[in-house]
Amino acid sequence: MLGIGEKFPNFEVTATVSRTKGKEFETITSESYPGKWKLYFFWPKDFTFVCPTEIAGFGKLNSEFAARDAQILGGSIDSEYVHLAWRNNHEDLKELPFPMLSDLKREITEQLGILDPKSGVAQRATFLVDPDGIIRFVYVTEGSVGRNPSEVLRVLDALQTDELCPCNWHKGEETIHV
Amino acid sequence: MSLDSQSLDPLIDSLPDYAKDLKLNYSSLVRQNSELTPQQLWGTVLSCAMATRSDALTKAATEAARAQLSEQALTAAQTAAALMGMNNIFYRFQHLASNEKYSTMPARLRMNGIRTHGVESQDFELWCLAVSAINGCGKCIDSHEKVVREKGVTEETVMAVVRVASVVHAIGAVLDAERVTDKSPV
Repeated sequence: MLGIGEKFPNFEVTATVSRTKGKEFETITSESYPGKWKLYFFWPKDFTFVCPTEIAGFGKLNSEFAARDAQILGGSIDSEYVHLAWRNNHEDLKELPFPMLSDLKREITEQLGILDPKSGVAQRATFLVDPDGIIRFVYVTEGSVGRNPSEVLRVLDALQTDELCPCNWHKGEETIHV
Repeated sequence: MSLDSQSLDPLIDSLPDYAKDLKLNYSSLVRQNSELTPQQLWGTVLSCAMATRSDALTKAATEAARAQLSEQALTAAQTAAALMGMNNIFYRFQHLASNEKYSTMPARLRMNGIRTHGVESQDFELWCLAVSAINGCGKCIDSHEKVVREKGVTEETVMAVVRVASVVHAIGAVLDAERVTDKSPV
């Protein structure tokens, strides 16, 4: 599995972005959303039990993430049509404010090293990626244990908070060059 | 005309007799400024007006600064006042507290504006220094002073900035007093 400090893999996939007829799908790549942080989170399969709660949980915090210049991108190995069907089908997903990536060719999950060898689908993995495309946080849980979106927000906050004031400098430490 | 709606120059001119010294100091330091660049001067006036917390002064100073500063510099000066409002309290606590442990604990306060303001860094640091002088944080004064000197700013320039800060602050206090003082003849 890719870790902290490594570059998030290149990819180009179709994503389900809306339930509006004619506007459901868009192509999203690793270069989309320049200048933003990205929160990529993957789940094993659409239409399963734990996932909608988590996904909706991230959806509820979307404006908080957006305020911190972070774009949420959810995904699984399901096709964009399965994503659309699921969003149409499940009350909690109807108004989802972020795209669902379709990693049908498993290009993202394989490069990330989160393709589960037994099941052949994505593990429940979350990555925070900075505007330079570098992975800054990795969070993976097994099977049916859901994630805590607030925790990811807390980490993003911490990653973005630097003591930049010279008041913070201690004797003998390196100068901050701003 | 009420004090609220006056722009800066008429506001200064309307200062009462007891503040004549302030009026003249403002005249030599701001109107006859020869030591600071226009950006340094007006960013100092604006950030210090905000730190002084006088409605009339802040409103007039913002309007005056808008005519003198680029959009980016104006926002940067406002950012300096905003962030120093926070940092001056936080770091002053750290250096005043007898328990030195606080100085070793992470601040966990966002202050990304210090990095992203987009103007010349020595000017931004001068504004931070000016606001720190008003808010009275010794640790902040020392560290910002050190930073600007490392960037080549002279002690004379620092003094010029602090003079402006001092006078702006005093004018703010007088304006506030004048607003609430009953002027009607006895």
